Amino acid sequence: MDVPEDVGTVEAELARRLLWDTPDAVVAVTAEGTVVLWNAAAEALFGYTRAEALGRRLAELTAVPEHRGEARAPGTAASEPAEPIFETVRRRKDGSLVHVNVSQRAIRGAGGGPLVLSTIKDVTPLKVLRDAKLLEAQFRNLLESTPDAIIMVNVTGRIVLVNSQAETVFGYPRTQLVGKPVEMLLPERFRAAHNAHRGSFFSQPRTRTMGAGLDLYGLRSNGEEFPVEISLSPLVTEEGTMVMSAVRDVSERLKAEQKFRALLESAPDAMVIVGRDGRIAVINSQTEKLFGYQRAELLGRPVEVLVPERFRGNHAAHRGGFFAQPRARAMGAGLELFGLRRDGTEFPVEISLSPLETEEGLFVSSAIRDATARKRYEQGLQEANRLKSVFLANMSHELRTPLNAVIGFSEFLIDEKAGPLNAKQKEYLGDVLNSGRHLLQLINDVLDLSKIEAGKMEVRAERFPIRRAVDEVCTAIAQTAAAKGIAIRRDIGEAPGEVTLDRQKFIQVLYNLISNAVKFSNDGGEVWVTAMQRDGALRVSVRDRGIGIRSEDLEKLFVEFQQLDSSAARRFEGTGLGLALTRKLVEVQGGGIAVESERGQGSTFTVSLPLQAAARGAAPEPST
Amino acid sequence: MSARILIVDDNPTNLKLASDVLRSEGFAVETAQDAEQAQRLLLQQLPDLILMDIALPGMDGLALTRRLKSESRFSHVPIVALTASAMRGDEERALAAGCAGYITKPIDTRAFGRLIGRFLAAGGS
Ligand SMILES: [Mg+2]
Repeated sequence: MDVPEDVGTVEAELARRLLWDTPDAVVAVTAEGTVVLWNAAAEALFGYTRAEALGRRLAELTAVPEHRGEARAPGTAASEPAEPIFETVRRRKDGSLVHVNVSQRAIRGAGGGPLVLSTIKDVTPLKVLRDAKLLEAQFRNLLESTPDAIIMVNVTGRIVLVNSQAETVFGYPRTQLVGKPVEMLLPERFRAAHNAHRGSFFSQPRTRTMGAGLDLYGLRSNGEEFPVEISLSPLVTEEGTMVMSAVRDVSERLKAEQKFRALLESAPDAMVIVGRDGRIAVINSQTEKLFGYQRAELLGRPVEVLVPERFRGNHAAHRGGFFAQPRARAMGAGLELFGLRRDGTEFPVEISLSPLETEEGLFVSSAIRDATARKRYEQGLQEANRLKSVFLANMSHELRTPLNAVIGFSEFLIDEKAGPLNAKQKEYLGDVLNSGRHLLQLINDVLDLSKIEAGKMEVRAERFPIRRAVDEVCTAIAQTAAAKGIAIRRDIGEAPGEVTLDRQKFIQVLYNLISNAVKFSNDGGEVWVTAMQRDGALRVSVRDRGIGIRSEDLEKLFVEFQQLDSSAARRFEGTGLGLALTRKLVEVQGGGIAVESERGQGSTFTVSLPLQAAARGAAPEPST
Repeated sequence: MSARILIVDDNPTNLKLASDVLRSEGFAVETAQDAEQAQRLLLQQLPDLILMDIALPGMDGLALTRRLKSESRFSHVPIVALTASAMRGDEERALAAGCAGYITKPIDTRAFGRLIGRFLAAGGS
């Protein structure tokens, strides 16, 4: 059969059309790898026009730099491709990667030189499906059990698998995620950089935290950004290396951290949070002010920079002790502590420590207070107190000196040592004597009260029998009672045999109460003294049938200079300090005093005291 | 022979009270208003007991007590502090200076003589 002479031309034209229109990329390279053929599909697949591609080396155009070792560069083994059909990853002009299926064939070019003809198919979506299937089978159950959103991405940056936490966090169903570039989950502004980072991860795949120290954000389907923490791990599978990213939404944690920071800032004290290693992890701005450092100068430094040199040695050991038994406490209770400022000056501090449990382990949080003002205040107080003591001592001395003459001479005269007196003279001198004694009692009471108020009252606990103490007081009052025809009745059968109290104060209390009872009893009356043990305490009651106290006056009873303003009460002498002092003498031993009374029916004063008072020391101070 | 008491006190009224009370109890009393006068009297004749006020102009009673106690010719004479200083620590200071006893003002005129008698008995033994 004859062939029309234009058939060859038609065939050539047809072949050219086919080559141009075929959906697969068709590329031919020389033995050196130079592109000599580049069809429309190749233009679409790789993003380079025919004009851009022809004459360039194919490897320059499409090879994935990080993957040269893994995938064969096209055209290098042009004459005899070892594997005529294979799958690999290629780079597009925009840098994105595609999975391709390549089939290669060696042909002879028009000039007689060897060429490699490749037909390249984009199999990226197929590959994703395959990857997904593989990973699904292997990891689905595992992934669902982790709290983080997990997103697996293959080398082309396509999402191949997500867990349901990822769907929730990002707000997409998985069907809308799988196969898409992972960058859809990032805010626009991070996408370009992310592409590049992804490439470098695949070139050196190892488990690490993404963008350590950087603020990372995710993008939800509703456009909302949220802070994330991401950790990446490579996953080598039969379908190639993939990256598994565990994404944690840290909005809540950041909010909590902000709250915590706000809390730290609102504290009046300098707050320094230190880890087990003794390095400063967090400080507030009060710390900057107090110690004179900028935050950046302190973070990560050993906390000992804030401690004067001479205390540093022990400091680390004490920190070890704190971590061994972490509980809130004052640092170095009872010790003088000092802080060291940046300029080298020292200042007194008070420090309280408390353990702080965090996700990153145990920390110690220390609240540091500048004690300079307190120290100064205390010194001022001490000085004021010393001056007060001196004043009281002088006052006592100066008042006693004339009282010595007043009391002494009136006693001397009443006793008729200077000659006989008539009844009136005796009576008036008795008044002078009583007034003098009253004044003396007042001085003694004021001194006692001022001692208690200054916290200088000493408690000298000693063991003594109750009975003897009660007897002693009753004997002392017996004469006064007898003069009014008053009987003092005692009931101490239920009392403990012995107590450990400040005997002198106990006697003073009892004396005040019984002599009050006698004073406020009508002539010929009775006073009952009862002592018993109740609820592990000593209870002593003194009851009279005297004039009693109005209920509205009961509260004022134990207050200084609150003598009851009733004509009946004023008949009787008292300094107005006796009961106030009595109450304090009881309280200083850890006891209490109460009164029950009815107008005209008498009163009952009840004192409760521990069977054993704690001793309380005091510095040498005014005493009467 | 009645016991001889030297009373040292800068306050004439208090000096009079103590002397008159003791005289009424049968003691022989001499008085001095300051340390200097007391030392002059002591050179003339040694008393059986000295009642010593503490707050005195010039050398105070404690200093005088210490001086007398350091001299062998006086050291055996008992000295009893008689003072309006009645704060805690005052008694300890008086005893530390060498006083045999400590009586606070105001004095109890009814017990004063007996008290001095007891100190004399203790000091003389
Ligand atoms: Mg004087």
